[in-house]
Amino acid sequence: MKRFLIEVRPELCTGCLRCELACSEVYTGAFNPSAARIKVQVSDNECSISFTEDCTYCGICVDHCFYDALKKRLEEKA
Amino acid sequence: MKLGGFAGRILIVNLSTGETRYEPLDYGLAEKFLGGLGVSLKLYYDIVKPGVPPLSPENPVVLGTGPLVGTDLPATSRVYAITKLPQSKAVAWCGGGGMNFGCMLKNAGYDNVIIEGRSEKPVILKIFDDEVEILDAGDFWGKGVKDTCSRLWDTYGRPTGIITIGQAGENKVIFSMAYIEGAATMGRGGLGAVLGSKNLKAIIVKGSKGIQVADRKRYRSVRDRLLKTMREYPYLKEWQELGLMKSLPFFPMDLYKKVKKRRLACVSCPIGDKDVIEIKDGPLKGTVIRSTSMINLITPMVYGLKDYREAIKCVSILDDFGMDMFEFFGVLSFTKDLIEQGVIAPEQAQDKIKVDSLESVEIWAKKVCFRQGLGDLLAGGFNAILDTFGDMARPHAPYIIRGMLPYTGPRGPLPWELFGTMELGQSLDPRGPHVGASGSPTYFARRPLDQFPRHLRRMGAPEEAIERILPSLGSPEDEESLKVGRLLTYSHNWFSALGSLGICARAQINRFYNAETCSEAYSSVTGIETTKEELMMKAERVWNLLRIANVREGFARKDDTLPDKWFEAPPFKNYVTMKPITRQDAERMLEDYYDERGWDKRTGIPTKEKLAKLGLE
Ligand code: SF4
Ligand code: SF4
Ligand code: SF4
Repeated sequence: MKRFLIEVRPELCTGCLRCELACSEVYTGAFNPSAARIKVQVSDNECSISFTEDCTYCGICVDHCFYDALKKRLEEKA
Repeated sequence: MKLGGFAGRILIVNLSTGETRYEPLDYGLAEKFLGGLGVSLKLYYDIVKPGVPPLSPENPVVLGTGPLVGTDLPATSRVYAITKLPQSKAVAWCGGGGMNFGCMLKNAGYDNVIIEGRSEKPVILKIFDDEVEILDAGDFWGKGVKDTCSRLWDTYGRPTGIITIGQAGENKVIFSMAYIEGAATMGRGGLGAVLGSKNLKAIIVKGSKGIQVADRKRYRSVRDRLLKTMREYPYLKEWQELGLMKSLPFFPMDLYKKVKKRRLACVSCPIGDKDVIEIKDGPLKGTVIRSTSMINLITPMVYGLKDYREAIKCVSILDDFGMDMFEFFGVLSFTKDLIEQGVIAPEQAQDKIKVDSLESVEIWAKKVCFRQGLGDLLAGGFNAILDTFGDMARPHAPYIIRGMLPYTGPRGPLPWELFGTMELGQSLDPRGPHVGASGSPTYFARRPLDQFPRHLRRMGAPEEAIERILPSLGSPEDEESLKVGRLLTYSHNWFSALGSLGICARAQINRFYNAETCSEAYSSVTGIETTKEELMMKAERVWNLLRIANVREGFARKDDTLPDKWFEAPPFKNYVTMKPITRQDAERMLEDYYDERGWDKRTGIPTKEKLAKLGLE
């Protein structure tokens, strides 16, 4: 599987959780934000985007973000 | 059998006894009424005793989400509440873009929550997976919407889904609303007051059970097609940036760019249109507000507030109290007129009413929210004022339908003069006059008639209905070229389908869905094989159930009010010819609507044959 470095731009994140939905569905077979390997927390003033240890850097979450808050970096993750 | 998409359980909470329990969702019900809006309505219909007052413990609130909610189909996040509302006293649906709430409720394992009774003291309902608790609201009671949300998030973390009321709901102001995470509103006809009457300050939800679809492969193919169309949509960026403002060309964009802090979206929505707004300069600098749309934030300027920062502040005050702006300004302006006309003595008001002054508006917002002095009367809405001052007040009243202000109209706060489905729909809505797109091509636009068939097919209208809606397509156009009443029937059915599945009906989302995609999505998610025709028939069934739920309460054609003032100058205009609309024209449109629905034209009540055909006998 291809692996990517994922760049995050929290200021563009809307909290739509499309990334968490997609990740959880691919890896657990069910839509379940709490089981996603990406964690997004948005408040009025801040946003944090992080990845759990078992993230495979497959980039699927990036494909599902419509707001450019996640970007694949050209070089692949080692 | 377990269906896909559905969580499969209904939570039942009795606030009087403190008992909570769950029951399996009856899948027969889901098959017949689709889910979401439809199933919630049926659950309400079956448990409520006809005639119960809206603010009594006997009036339950049924919350619900559709089977697509929680999946990653675009913008499937809608949350509905069915209850009897105090303004119109009718059985009505309240709906909102569900932010995190819908997805979290499903993940906690519930499609619906039935809330019955009344708690003795203020409480918060906590639903975290199987852990359901009725918590003491403590000093949350008395707090505004914004404060309540941020303190709940501080305690329970994000993302936690929150529905809450402000102080206006606690004090049963008749136009108080419920708020989803401070960014979406539900029920300007008084859902806030209904929850307040139950002493229910907030509902918080979090879940980790996961939602599975019945046929993953088929699901992905529907989803990927939808996402691809959205990605390739040439106006995607513009819609993401501007949201609803894109359809209102008169909107001051520079101003929006100045105050925009962050775009917010409901779970799964690729074209989110909610905002965090911040005033960046002047004496109100630092005011931060969440909003369903920037359009609302500058609406107070219609009433004369000169400075946009004051307008934003004004909405932030009303939103924090948790009450509807249109009704608030409506009753306030009406009261001001009554004072000027000598119907109300100025001493009674104590404080002068100036709708163009932030200071005065703030004073009056407090008086209404906390029911102080004359504010107590205003908190009862137009009906309370008219009941008190009767014929002396009536001539000075604005347009009123079911005790509320229809906000589009030639003289409405959202001035719009073409008489399309949105305008006629204000008369037929049991919630009172609301406007909504429901995908109708007449929504804030004057599209040429030859574009209509495409829209209508998308909304699942059959070919023979399209001929009835556009009887002279291709011939020279006259007043009868567009049958607005007939069109509204399919616009309502389409809304009913979207609402029952859980799809957002806003224009920028709606446009990507069509009846076929919806039936394909529904079939692949739930495993209930449903054709486009079946889907639209079930949606029609849901809308008929809404009508009979209200017929059972004594409502009929007499309540589908067309206010006299609509036909005074400046009048509404015919959508095609721009000629003024007369009362007779509008009555005919109503009759067209009943006729298209198979309802009795005289009474507006669904006929026996129609109900039998829909399996609602
Ligand atoms: S990169 Fe892959 S595994 Fe990691 S969070 Fe995104 S979708 Fe999940
Ligand atoms: S999909 Fe993008 S915008 Fe949405 S929550 Fe994830 S990172 Fe944020
Ligand atoms: S369009 Fe707005 S209301 Fe609808 S789902 Fe998206 S963010 Fe929510």
